[in-house]
Amino acid sequence: MVFTTVVNFVRSRGPDEFWRKRKIFKLAAHYIGRRRNCYSITIRNVHRALVYATKGRKLRKEDMANLWETRIKAGCEQHDIPYETLREGLTRCDILVNRKTLSELACWEPYTFKALTDVARRRALDDGLKGVTNENDIDRIITRGSLNKA
Amino acid sequence: MSALKRVQQWATFARIWHIYNAAWQNPFHSSELIKKYLMGMHKPIYHPMNDCGDHVIVINSADIALPGDEWKKRVYFHHTGYPGGATWTLAWNLHEKDPTMIIKKAVYNSMDGNLQRRYTMQRLHIFPDENVPKELLGNVSNEIRQLRPMPKRLDDYPEKDVKEFPKVIDYPKDYVLR
Repeated sequence: MVFTTVVNFVRSRGPDEFWRKRKIFKLAAHYIGRRRNCYSITIRNVHRALVYATKGRKLRKEDMANLWETRIKAGCEQHDIPYETLREGLTRCDILVNRKTLSELACWEPYTFKALTDVARRRALDDGLKGVTNENDIDRIITRGSLNKA
Repeated sequence: MSALKRVQQWATFARIWHIYNAAWQNPFHSSELIKKYLMGMHKPIYHPMNDCGDHVIVINSADIALPGDEWKKRVYFHHTGYPGGATWTLAWNLHEKDPTMIIKKAVYNSMDGNLQRRYTMQRLHIFPDENVPKELLGNVSNEIRQLRPMPKRLDDYPEKDVKEFPKVIDYPKDYVLR
């Protein structure tokens, strides 16, 4: 039940029963058993699958956002800075990086991520943001007040 | 792949062993912490399909502290599957029978029920006291910080320190200490 030509697809729009059902059967081509061969069962399952697909478009985005946050938080923990402070510190330094990019840096470019946390830590210490206290292990290249604009 | 990159990859995916002292800790808050290490959520390479979880050894599980009156009120349910096979066990009762069970169930329940959960639980090693087998203890390379600091009790101090501790007053001779 696969359209090999555009002509067949155009015909399937019409009122003819065979072509109407053919459109549904095409969506069920990868099902197993009666789910792909009996129309009344097929239409039920195709409807359900389309509902799942609709919901899944939203869920996929949420899942990815959750994964990014988990990864960033893991990276933050390694460099001893809370997630909120990192985001706030970077924003104040005009480093506008989104969660996706941050998580990819944390995963694949750990040294780049560490540099970003250093910047955010310096800024957080200068501005007195919460969650950052020990100043000893900070990168010495970024000195006090150097991130504030004159 | 160069030798450096190869070793880097081994190091990235190596399982680390953590140790956690459960003495005087809330098992339900601790379970969230332990879960993070068991599932590998403390690593930036985390992915649900990525088998990057670590091992955690929990010691002193007999000395956990339940909040409030939960020892008396918390109930653990079990069903044998047969009619009338339901049992309800109070937390203090379960703890007497098996001092590792409460923390084990807390960690198990803190994770989502999926196919990976039982394999993740196999990486959790709980001991009621500090007697951990040598071969397990040899693997440990990190200690997880306790959620609450353990206060030192008065009877843990040497008697000399207690006696020499500065006092504001001396009790009168006829004062009855209760």
